[in-house]
Amino acid sequence: MVKLIQKIVFVLMMLGGLALTYYSVDNLQRIFIDTSDIFVRFAVILIFVFTLCIITRYLLLMFFSAIQTIRRSAAEELYKEHSHRVSIIVPCYNEQAGIVASLRSLLLQTYPNIEIIVVDDGSKDRTYELAKTFEFDDGIKKLRVLSKPNGGKSRALNYGIQYAEGDLVMSVDADSKLDPPAVDLLVQHFKDEQIAAVAGSVKVINDDTFITRLQSLEYIEGLNMVKNGQTFLKLVNIIPGPIGMFRKDALKRVGYYDHDTFAEDCDVTLKLIEKGYKIDFEPDALAQTEAPEELLQLIKQRYRWTRGILQAIKKHKNYLWHIRENKSMSFVMWYMLFEAIFWPFMQLWGDMFMIYLALTSGTSQLLVFWWVMFTVLDVAGAVYCLLITKEKLSLSFYSIIYRLAFITVINIAKIFATMEEWFAFEMSWGTLDRKGRI
Amino acid sequence: MNLLSFLSFLILVITLLTMVFGVLAYFLYKAREKKKGEDDISYEETVEAQGGELIFFEKDVKDV
Repeated sequence: MVKLIQKIVFVLMMLGGLALTYYSVDNLQRIFIDTSDIFVRFAVILIFVFTLCIITRYLLLMFFSAIQTIRRSAAEELYKEHSHRVSIIVPCYNEQAGIVASLRSLLLQTYPNIEIIVVDDGSKDRTYELAKTFEFDDGIKKLRVLSKPNGGKSRALNYGIQYAEGDLVMSVDADSKLDPPAVDLLVQHFKDEQIAAVAGSVKVINDDTFITRLQSLEYIEGLNMVKNGQTFLKLVNIIPGPIGMFRKDALKRVGYYDHDTFAEDCDVTLKLIEKGYKIDFEPDALAQTEAPEELLQLIKQRYRWTRGILQAIKKHKNYLWHIRENKSMSFVMWYMLFEAIFWPFMQLWGDMFMIYLALTSGTSQLLVFWWVMFTVLDVAGAVYCLLITKEKLSLSFYSIIYRLAFITVINIAKIFATMEEWFAFEMSWGTLDRKGRI
Repeated sequence: MNLLSFLSFLILVITLLTMVFGVLAYFLYKAREKKKGEDDISYEETVEAQGGELIFFEKDVKDV
């Protein structure tokens, strides 16, 4: 009964979102007709196009995600694949706060045929010492700790892959811990020869503060709507740092990780798609990670992600225009460009236009429709994701704060990061302050 | 004042405040990163500050 009510609420919200979209578009149309100001007309057209894009994105992703969820629940598991040897690479730099919990979780994996390679990337703290205490080799499972001078995550990953015995390579961040069946679940996807990599789910473990709850909701939506939707086409565009598995041969074919971007995970995924491989997603393979608890740390993280993704897009930019050359790659590139640049800019542009309208002609109902439309869509998206993940539905209320304040702050950071990337401002990797909450 | 006007005014004020807050937070982040960068001085810079005298560290034992 409760489930039915939840589903009815979700459907009503979607209908409400569409009704509000109609009102918003109707208002925009009236403004367009009433004004002779070229600037206002241009802004109205832009916002109209943006609104259409957003609604289409929501509906398509939700549709694909729903189909994917039905497909998964209908699929019969015939046999469990255990023949692959999996090498788990854990690159770490100053991770003494989380390395112990992370390694423990890897040792508790139900998949039997694994080796764990910790690569200490020149840490200045006790990471190496702590990891070293876990070293062992029982002939099947083993854990070894390697050390190298500091050179960045991509170099640490490549260094670890050099020593990997497995035909499947997994990257796990040292600030994350995996659920026991995670490796087992990811391995099963490699029965399909076309699959080069599989992304796992990432969950915020420290969702006990206001800012981390907002991120928790963001992660749940990002995975269950966006990644699950992308899985329909087997074109997941980013294998997340905390949990991702690759076919080693495929990695070798694309030249392993490159060192010229700050989003090596995104870059390597794009390189695999470029070569025609498929990228899958396993929602039940769970990694729990520590989210930034301070706003400035969060801005730092998002700044780095944005610049990294833009660097990866820049590297493969020819696919934006040569669609016939590689349709899958072009589709992924345009999607990423939309999410990384177009959306934040248009969202801010929309807000500024509404302020301009309010200052020149008084506050209008368009502002309310515009804002409520996005909020209702956000809440509907959140309810859908929380329903399929069986997470607390109370999190969906955070969507209101998310739309009202959080996303504007994040978008501003993204826009500044985009401008700095455009003008090639110097950037350093930096590390996030870890509290050791995993 | 009807409900729509009130909500519209409220959203306008919150949007304005959030935008200002977002810009301030970003520049605060940049300032903090800059300060961190200045605090991270290299070995060579430290030696130079010491007037060229060598600095000895205690050995950190690692069985590589």
